Amino acid sequence: MSSSIANETVGSASVREGRTLWEMLTNTYVLYFVSLAGFFLLWDRVAYLHVFGDSLARPHVVAQKLYMLSQVKFAGTNLAGHIWVSTQRVLIGFGLASVIAVPLGLFMSLNQYANAIVKPIFDLFKPMPPIAWVSISILWFGIGEFSKVFIIAIGTFVPCLLNAYNGIRLIEPELYDVVRVLGGSRKDEIIQVSFPASFPAIFAGLQISLSVAWTCLLAAELMNARDGMGFLIKRGMDTHDPALVLGGMVLIAAMAWLSSLLISLLERKACPWKRSIENL
Amino acid sequence: MTAEPSPTLKIHCEDVSKTFIQKGHIGVPVIRDISLDVEENEFLVVLGPGQCGKSTLLRIIAGLETPDTGYVTLDGQPIVGPGPDRGLVFQGYMLFAWETVMGNVEMGLKLRGVPKHERREVAQHYIDLVGLTGFEKHYPHQLSGGMKQRVGIARAYANSPKVMLLDEPFGQLDAQTRMFMQKETARIWEHEKRTVVFVTNNIDEALFLADRIILMEGKLPGRIKREYVIGLPRPRDHAHKDILELRAMITAQTELVL
Repeated sequence: MSSSIANETVGSASVREGRTLWEMLTNTYVLYFVSLAGFFLLWDRVAYLHVFGDSLARPHVVAQKLYMLSQVKFAGTNLAGHIWVSTQRVLIGFGLASVIAVPLGLFMSLNQYANAIVKPIFDLFKPMPPIAWVSISILWFGIGEFSKVFIIAIGTFVPCLLNAYNGIRLIEPELYDVVRVLGGSRKDEIIQVSFPASFPAIFAGLQISLSVAWTCLLAAELMNARDGMGFLIKRGMDTHDPALVLGGMVLIAAMAWLSSLLISLLERKACPWKRSIENL
Repeated sequence: MTAEPSPTLKIHCEDVSKTFIQKGHIGVPVIRDISLDVEENEFLVVLGPGQCGKSTLLRIIAGLETPDTGYVTLDGQPIVGPGPDRGLVFQGYMLFAWETVMGNVEMGLKLRGVPKHERREVAQHYIDLVGLTGFEKHYPHQLSGGMKQRVGIARAYANSPKVMLLDEPFGQLDAQTRMFMQKETARIWEHEKRTVVFVTNNIDEALFLADRIILMEGKLPGRIKREYVIGLPRPRDHAHKDILELRAMITAQTELVL
């Protein structure tokens, strides 16, 4: 793909001589590179000149730190171990919440009685920022695995439910008329229209939930943990090791990005009919 | 009207009225005392400007709305709800975005439990008929407006309804595509005759397609103002002198109500 664009640029440039250099410089990919290179150079310069004292590590120091951690055990396990522990927490919390919240949201939008019973309670909890649950969950469940999973599940529950719920409520009502005119029943309306039409909204909810899940994980691990990426950041802060803090941040961002990519792939598989949106 | 209905009578509307009640408002009467007959395989066009209740009349025949007074019969049987004996084509296409062209066209048969290979065959026949051969695996968003409505027409046809109801089907198309789709509609109808009730606000469309035109009053509540039998042979020419003469006549009536 990128090579074909490059070829095109070269091809048209050879026709219109004189703009060659400008066109090459304004090529999107060239600009991407300029932007990123500029960022890392600036970072390195600022760290090298000690603008923030000794609390900003140079990029290559962060990379070295991560490489070192992947080789030796640190607080009981190596880097892969820390990543896996955190990922597990997210997967369990996010998995539990979505498995309950999505069907519940669908059911609420399809059944007015279920809606009337669940909605008031849900509306009561909805505005609560998930991080607010950190302290109470430690009081309730101690500092073990469960309290971390609990916070993540609580945080991801709301966007999962809300999107599934709205996904069905925003369906064009005439689509149900189509099913009725074709001779379908209420059950057909739900299976042929409600479910498939709400898929994109459900996946949007999963995406939001996932980013909330990583936020909650970080909050829980910063508060109390003996392992995980949040623990690395906390340990870096306590021992004044900026390379470790930044390394932990980069890792969490990378994992959040990877997991979001995974949901996107799943969505593409589940909704092949959706117009593919570029640069997601 | 005679007591004995004609043997080819398909749809009969008797004094149909409908008032919509909106929250906090007094009722808006949409149509009042509409009586009309549609003969078997007749192409009836209901012509009227926007907001004259013509779509409501169509939805009542489809069974999606119930009249406040009066009744509608199909083959002598009163209409109590929607059913596969009446196919409806929507102004906004209303295709299932998650189904392919094939999936959309075969939906009615699928809902009625027709086995897969059988419904594929029927659906393919109508996809071919509306000129979408080769697009079976496309999704609606990959189609142009005209093609989308072809799918809408094929979907209604594939359910083998006795009556086809079309609600301003080409209202969202550009003028050229619209004219082309009118020709296509005439061709498809000649190929597989059905009783058709076609609602439009476009006088040229009405003159091009109709066996008979019902002109509605231009304000609410909608009533029948006049009826025109168009005995001209098909395919018709928009610029034919008889058509232009009728056009002038109907336009004069329409301007009076506007």
